[in-house]
Amino acid sequence: MSNILISIDQLSKKYPSAKEESLKKVSLEIKVGEKFGIFGPNGAGKTTLISIMCHILPYRHGSVKFYHKGELIRFTEIKKRIGFVPQDLAMYEELTAFHNVEYFGALYNLSRDQIQERANHLFKLLGLSNVANKKVKAFSGGMKRRLNLIIGVIHQPDILFLDEPTVGVDIQSRNAILDFLNTINANGTSIIYTSHHLEEAEQLCSRIAIIDYGKLIALDEISTLLSDNKVQNLTQLLIKLTGKAFRDNV
Amino acid sequence: MYKPWISIRKEFYLLFSDKVGLSLMFLMPLLLVFVITIIQDSAFKVVNENKISLIITNNDEGELGKKLSEMLLTSGMFDVIEKEYSDPLQLQKEVTNGNSLTALFISTDFSEKIELKSTQFSQIIMANLGLQESKQFKEINLPFIKFFNDPALQDNYVYSIISVIYTHLNVIEISQMLEGIYIEMGYAGIPPEVEQGIFKNRIQIERHVNGEAFQLPNSTQHNVPAWTIFAMFFMVISLGANIVKERSTGSFMRLKAMPTHFGVIMASKQIVYVTVGVLQVLFIFSVGAFVFPFLNLPPLSMPANALGIMAVVFVSAFTAVSYSLMLGSVSRTQEQSNGFGAISIIIFAAIGGVWVPTFVMPEYMKVISQFSPLHWCIEAFYVLFLRGGGWANLFKPLYILVIFALFCQIITFVKLKQDKLI
Repeated sequence: MSNILISIDQLSKKYPSAKEESLKKVSLEIKVGEKFGIFGPNGAGKTTLISIMCHILPYRHGSVKFYHKGELIRFTEIKKRIGFVPQDLAMYEELTAFHNVEYFGALYNLSRDQIQERANHLFKLLGLSNVANKKVKAFSGGMKRRLNLIIGVIHQPDILFLDEPTVGVDIQSRNAILDFLNTINANGTSIIYTSHHLEEAEQLCSRIAIIDYGKLIALDEISTLLSDNKVQNLTQLLIKLTGKAFRDNV
Repeated sequence: MYKPWISIRKEFYLLFSDKVGLSLMFLMPLLLVFVITIIQDSAFKVVNENKISLIITNNDEGELGKKLSEMLLTSGMFDVIEKEYSDPLQLQKEVTNGNSLTALFISTDFSEKIELKSTQFSQIIMANLGLQESKQFKEINLPFIKFFNDPALQDNYVYSIISVIYTHLNVIEISQMLEGIYIEMGYAGIPPEVEQGIFKNRIQIERHVNGEAFQLPNSTQHNVPAWTIFAMFFMVISLGANIVKERSTGSFMRLKAMPTHFGVIMASKQIVYVTVGVLQVLFIFSVGAFVFPFLNLPPLSMPANALGIMAVVFVSAFTAVSYSLMLGSVSRTQEQSNGFGAISIIIFAAIGGVWVPTFVMPEYMKVISQFSPLHWCIEAFYVLFLRGGGWANLFKPLYILVIFALFCQIITFVKLKQDKLI
């Protein structure tokens, strides 16, 4: 039990306007220090699952429990320990990069000195030191994605949730982001990640869950899933498990 | 304290980067105050300060026409110019051509007919008193006084002018009748003590306006507070868009995953925008008080009740902020927020008395105006600026504004809750 970070049991979620449940009795466990990937087609329920884990969305059925050294973490403590990097560039384009980090850092109850020190370090690691005092609206897509990530880790979370953190960025920015995630994971931060870039996921994740139509259809080490399903890579695996049909939902 | 401070500072930075919003909140109302005040100032002056231009053509062959002219001249209400025309149509042309707002044509038989009527009337009285034999009199066709006015003058104002002329005519007629009676009784005319008693020592009307330190309504006293309130509510463009943007960019979602109370974020926005509202008042009122005199406009005269002013400004700003938050929370896009926000404020301003004071509106519009928050803001300012009222008079408008603001806050909370943002 001391190895368990998050335990999800029979989790179901239905949006008021939806006909069907977005998540149907999902149960899984994520271990401490893991780089865990959640994959599936569009509308499968990945973002809903991450949003529930981040306490952004409420749920009625099932349970989501967080542990630290085997002890159940209280609800009020969870938000202090998690970091969230949303798919949207959730920042203020009219502010400078540093003011964005300072604002979100302050909301994590960090002091000005802590923010200054950590921001300098993170800006350096992700190549934004030269533009830290420039307004974000002048940034490229890749720079904004890197800043989005810095905001999510400024408080040095135990668990980092990333919802498609590299969407629409150039190869250099993607490489920098993945290197950074590997670095903070090596330093003890557990990573829970979702993306449509499956090659990238193969590089980053150790264990994955595949969700389709709100149901958990696969959960294991990547290598085990590939060999069990007799496929070469994650793309083939996903096509095999979820089919070729489009998932357009209007 | 670091968290609220950074949160407030972030809102200020966002506000300062919104140049369009700032222009709408500070420059647009300033321009409106200048333009509307200058235009309305002349209209207010016509009513309150300027004399009405009056051309008199006196063709009377007797003295009474001259007497009427002198009475109108000394009434202080008219700028009298005398011109000679034989035809009233020539005089009418003076008004039609815009040379004068009003004109009065006195016919040649004016004195003759009034004197005839007076003589007849005094003889009737003498006969009734048994001092003379009764006679049969023919009815006298009294002369017309022709009055012309510019069609731009409002009817009620024209009736006031005609009423003034009638008053002077009555004085002349009564004076003539009394003189006739005295002459019939063998006197040379009205004894001076009688004339003094009847025409000079008259009941005076003392004018009292509510409150002690009242200001006569002028263009500044109306326009400066009214357009400042309009400007305050126009913060809906900036604040409404701010809320929509934070929702659409996912910032609210990110904030929800953070160990911070959403109240801190919303309170920061409200503190900043209430401060903006106060700054708008300081800015526009200062211009009204100190810059207007240089433009030959009446300066804004501040009421003595400083605490009352502060309360009205704060409650008005809080109401404007609450309305903006509500619109921002129910709008899905910035276009919706900006479009509906601007149109709703213009409608609220129109029915609320920003452009035209509500007391000149028809009854049903007066009822409708009560649904405009701007109406109650203006009412509160009027209590202080025009009526010299106190806290008791302020209670009703402030109470209604606070209720409206709380209603908006509740709608905002419910909507954000419904959208799972808080």
